[in-house]
Amino acid sequence: MAPQDTFFRSSEMSLTQLYIANEIGREVVSALGEIGQVQFRDLNPETNAFQRTFTKEIRRLDNVERQLRYFHSQMEKASIPMRSSSEFSDTLAAPLASEIDELAERSESLEQRIASLNDSYETLKKREVELSEWRWVLREAGGFFDRAHTHTEDIRQSFDNDEAPLLRDVEQHAPAGTTGDTQGQQSFSEMNIGFVAGVIPRDRIGAFERILWRTLRGNLYMNQSEIPEVIIDPTNNEEIHKNVFVIFAHGKNILAKIRKISESLGASLYGVDENSELRRDQIHEVNTRLGDVGNVLRNTKNTLDAELSQIARSLAAWMIIVKKEKAVYDTLNRFSYDQARKTLIAEAWCPTNSLSLIKSTLQDVNDRAGLSVPTIVNQIRTNKTPPTYVRTNKFTEAFQTIINSYGIPKYMEVNPGLYTIVTFPFLFAVMFGDVGHGSIMAMAASAMIFWEKKLHRTKLDELTYMAFYGRYIMLLMGLFSIYTGIIYNDIFSKAFTIFPSQWQWPEDIKAGQSVEATLKDGYRFPIGLDWNWHEAENSLLFSNSMKMKMSILLGWSHMTYALVHQLVNARHFKSKVDIFGNFIPGMLFFQSIFGYLALTILYKWIVNWPARGEDPPSLLNMLIFMFLSPGNIQEKLYSHQGTVQVLLLLIAVTQVPIMLFLKPFWLRYEHNRARALGYRGLGEQSRVSALEDDGDLNGGLGARDSMASDGEGVAMLAQDINEGEEHEEFDFSDVMIHQIIHTIEFCLNCISHTASYLRLWALSLAHQQLSIVLWDMTIGTAFGQENHIVRVIMIVICTYMFLVLSVAVLVTMEGVSAMLHSLRLHWVEAMSKHFMGEGIPFLPFSFKTLLEEDPVD
Amino acid sequence: MASGWSLFVGLIIIVAASLAAWFFSPKGENQTVWRSTLILSFVSCYLMWAIVFLAQLHPLIAPKRADIRPGRVPE
Repeated sequence: MAPQDTFFRSSEMSLTQLYIANEIGREVVSALGEIGQVQFRDLNPETNAFQRTFTKEIRRLDNVERQLRYFHSQMEKASIPMRSSSEFSDTLAAPLASEIDELAERSESLEQRIASLNDSYETLKKREVELSEWRWVLREAGGFFDRAHTHTEDIRQSFDNDEAPLLRDVEQHAPAGTTGDTQGQQSFSEMNIGFVAGVIPRDRIGAFERILWRTLRGNLYMNQSEIPEVIIDPTNNEEIHKNVFVIFAHGKNILAKIRKISESLGASLYGVDENSELRRDQIHEVNTRLGDVGNVLRNTKNTLDAELSQIARSLAAWMIIVKKEKAVYDTLNRFSYDQARKTLIAEAWCPTNSLSLIKSTLQDVNDRAGLSVPTIVNQIRTNKTPPTYVRTNKFTEAFQTIINSYGIPKYMEVNPGLYTIVTFPFLFAVMFGDVGHGSIMAMAASAMIFWEKKLHRTKLDELTYMAFYGRYIMLLMGLFSIYTGIIYNDIFSKAFTIFPSQWQWPEDIKAGQSVEATLKDGYRFPIGLDWNWHEAENSLLFSNSMKMKMSILLGWSHMTYALVHQLVNARHFKSKVDIFGNFIPGMLFFQSIFGYLALTILYKWIVNWPARGEDPPSLLNMLIFMFLSPGNIQEKLYSHQGTVQVLLLLIAVTQVPIMLFLKPFWLRYEHNRARALGYRGLGEQSRVSALEDDGDLNGGLGARDSMASDGEGVAMLAQDINEGEEHEEFDFSDVMIHQIIHTIEFCLNCISHTASYLRLWALSLAHQQLSIVLWDMTIGTAFGQENHIVRVIMIVICTYMFLVLSVAVLVTMEGVSAMLHSLRLHWVEAMSKHFMGEGIPFLPFSFKTLLEEDPVD
Repeated sequence: MASGWSLFVGLIIIVAASLAAWFFSPKGENQTVWRSTLILSFVSCYLMWAIVFLAQLHPLIAPKRADIRPGRVPE
């Protein structure tokens, strides 16, 4: 049994082979999907999606899924709410195959039913629209006729007189003489004038008129009016404004032409009788038909809604089932199928510690199916790199995400996430230190944690979700900010005066007199910065020097701590050469320069310089002159300082060649020795003899790992050997170049990274100054008002402003900026000291992640 | 009251707290997280406190003010 999985390292993984009886393949895979601890390898990478075993089933499920989506879209159209998936129990157990069939059949018939209901609904709707359009035409056209009848005299006159225009008021320039056959009757039909009535979309009316005018050369009389109510197109639910038109013209050909033009422009034509009696009958008939259609329509709609709400109750569950089922078949397609023995063979990565759970689950599935053939779980030794799997919980998850977004840790290397839990919020707090702002942040985070379950179910927008995802980071950031706020003695830029000061002021002070405080004897301010610095003129002089040195010291501790992880890694991977060639020289280099600097900072603080009557030397100059003129001391810090500094410099300088050459040459020596003894890398036999003389030697580290195989009862898959992805050929120049880069980078980074921690000082200074400004601009000015009433009003307004701006600017904006800087300090300054990365993420087949990534509702 | 020896008192306190954190962390799969988080927090907080305390142990400059009103000398 492997040691317990911790957050310190990624879990130990095993490559296992599963022999599953064909009959229970589906059940086994869905049981493993519920556990979510197994990552299946694709055993048929060369076959495409259509050639795989279970393509048929997937197609069928795709169809069911499409039908379910169709129901969903219909529900959205009818605005029927779907029952949320969170209302169902979390463990929707794997359904039987027959249940899936049933579901498929049911959704098939439901789809037909819905579709036919929809069809008839749409047809009815269309009919209704037509009828109502017709009613409008009848009503409006009636008006035209009534008006036209009163003008028949005029019209007739125009016919009688060849020179007169067809209709004086409308078409002044209508060419005369086109209507030669004149008859003087009252009715239009007797005048041989026909008409076309219909409706047309309002935006086409202009084009319609123009086309008619051009084709008929003005031989028409057109009348139109707007329909006041909007008409809804049943096919796409769009609102359209339409106009009723009646066109009078004479001659059958012309009328036919008009009809054609109107139909081509999307107008719908309706029959209208010119006789007002008949027209009234028509209107009456249309109205009754409209009423009938409306009734039927309402019934259909009710049936459809009832059907849809029936489906809505269980649609989410069905969608989940189908989704899971599809994922199961997708996974089954990755297996290879043994025709002769009717078994499915799967290869999967799983955490070694979960093996027993997996085995017992498989046993359960077997028992339930009542199969005599057990599912065989076989562990395989392999030279493949296992995927990196760090077990997280809701607390550690967000911290691990910080690490993973920089790089997936290498398999079994030290996980920087563990120390990030503390150092990330702590370094943030160093920049954000203020009790007030820290408490706001901590309270917000606590609220999110308290209503965790409720918030988890609701859909949050992106920014809130990010804050919610990092709620535990936020809590720690807030708590540490409260602590650093106490140390900086800052609450909304004001000081606490709980403890007595270590400074005392002279007794008799005249107004406006500049005075300097004196130290009290044998008493020092116990926790944090003395509050007397807060109002002092030279407070920045003191706090800057203190914060700058603090940044260096914290940075030094952070980097040293990170550097030690290199040793832990080297010991775990049993690589002595990394200890002697990288860790020890690196550590010596770093400590002899920056460890020394940290030590002198402490020393300078401990010594009571005023009591000695000496001026303390500047540490910055000391460090610079340590490099520029070694052994030459301008301002003495302690005796024998020159000798010590020369010695330290020598130590640092000598580490560079050790770091450069030890590892590559040692690797070369080891490789050559292995070659001389006749060892070869696996799978390279064919080329060895030919290339041996060229010095192009194969094998190396990767080959050594692969040699360690052949225990009892372990199988080595033949196909894996030839894939050869793990065989790195040993190339000395490659290793050398890599090491040169590493050395230069490390040495330069020691300097730049230490300087980079000065951002702790810069940001904490900025935060403090900004909060002082905010106080002075708002509440500070309010208190300064002389007039009482103005002061009261100002205090109320300024308090609101102060609170809003504190949250928006000082907590949110400054918080984000400090967080980004803290993130950088981890990714660049700390993780570069030990992090190898390049791990392969473990992506287990899990229904839970599947549904989280692609939620059904 | 508080003098240079406080640094060592503080050190003893956090060492004791760290030992307690090591031994009393709840057993189980999260033990590592508990131990590392608690001990690192203690150490970080101690470091910060000690640095600020040290900086004020033998201060090289003293606060200066010109805006103190007579009779309102801060204590």
